[in-house]
Amino acid sequence: MNEQLFANKICQVLDRATRVEPAIAERLRAARERALDARRIELAPGLAWADNVLGSIGGQSGLWLRLVLPTLLLVASVAGIYTWQQNQRLAETEEIDAELLTDDLPIDAYLDRGFEAWLKKRAAR
Amino acid sequence: MSAFLQSVERRAFKQAVYAVRDDDAALDIAQDAMLRLTERYGDRPAAELPLLFQRILQNAIRDWFRRQKVRNLWVTLFSALSPGKEDDDQDPLETLHAAGESNAEESGADQLERTQILEIIEQEIRQLPPRQREAFLLRYWEEHDVAETARVMGCSEGSVKTHCSRATHALAIALKARGITL
Repeated sequence: MNEQLFANKICQVLDRATRVEPAIAERLRAARERALDARRIELAPGLAWADNVLGSIGGQSGLWLRLVLPTLLLVASVAGIYTWQQNQRLAETEEIDAELLTDDLPIDAYLDRGFEAWLKKRAAR
Repeated sequence: MSAFLQSVERRAFKQAVYAVRDDDAALDIAQDAMLRLTERYGDRPAAELPLLFQRILQNAIRDWFRRQKVRNLWVTLFSALSPGKEDDDQDPLETLHAAGESNAEESGADQLERTQILEIIEQEIRQLPPRQREAFLLRYWEEHDVAETARVMGCSEGSVKTHCSRATHALAIALKARGITL
């Protein structure tokens, strides 16, 4: 007998086997819902894009990217914030220096102790 | 995704039952396969899902056998220490319950005959060597082509054809011996 033909007849009978007891059908439905729920919980709006990119990469390289890349990004972010803060401090210091140097009052006046005492007395008033 | 899972869940369950011969284990395997699919491949195009799911399902069935091997090893080791429980072999006649949804207009005799033929075919499929059963169900029941079946099974296309041919031949001989003509 032709192999394909015979197999088709077997499969026609097997298709009837997919009718299952109601209890089994209900458990399968519950299993399906759990699988879909797991997917919904996993996806958060902010992570949906990242998941879409990384999720398409499977295996070891995907695992590497899921761990190492976020860690590298975190380190780079912290380094960037620190550098920005340092630059901000430098800029503020430069601004103060510029104001002192361009002020009418000569810079040496700030080294005069008598002038410092006069400033304190004035501030106390 | 929901529609796809709904369309495959029963066949996945039946495939698992043929392999592991236990309804509860088969349900766990089917659920495991569905979870793995949604968690790892939830964003894949719909056209890719059938093959992916079949591969996941077959892997889940193999994982179950591996766990059973380890479990049976420990059971054997400790069997002298505690009274063992007889493992209940699944009663193939339990599948007769599937006839509950059959067409009510059929005569009782016809319905019984169809049920018995189904039960016998399921028995013979369960008794096939695992690779032959896997190839037969993937190729003919799930209607994947030879190349797709080979990808799921992780073997060559030639091996798929050989497994299918042997499975079909074995089923034909077995059914003839039981007096069944399709």
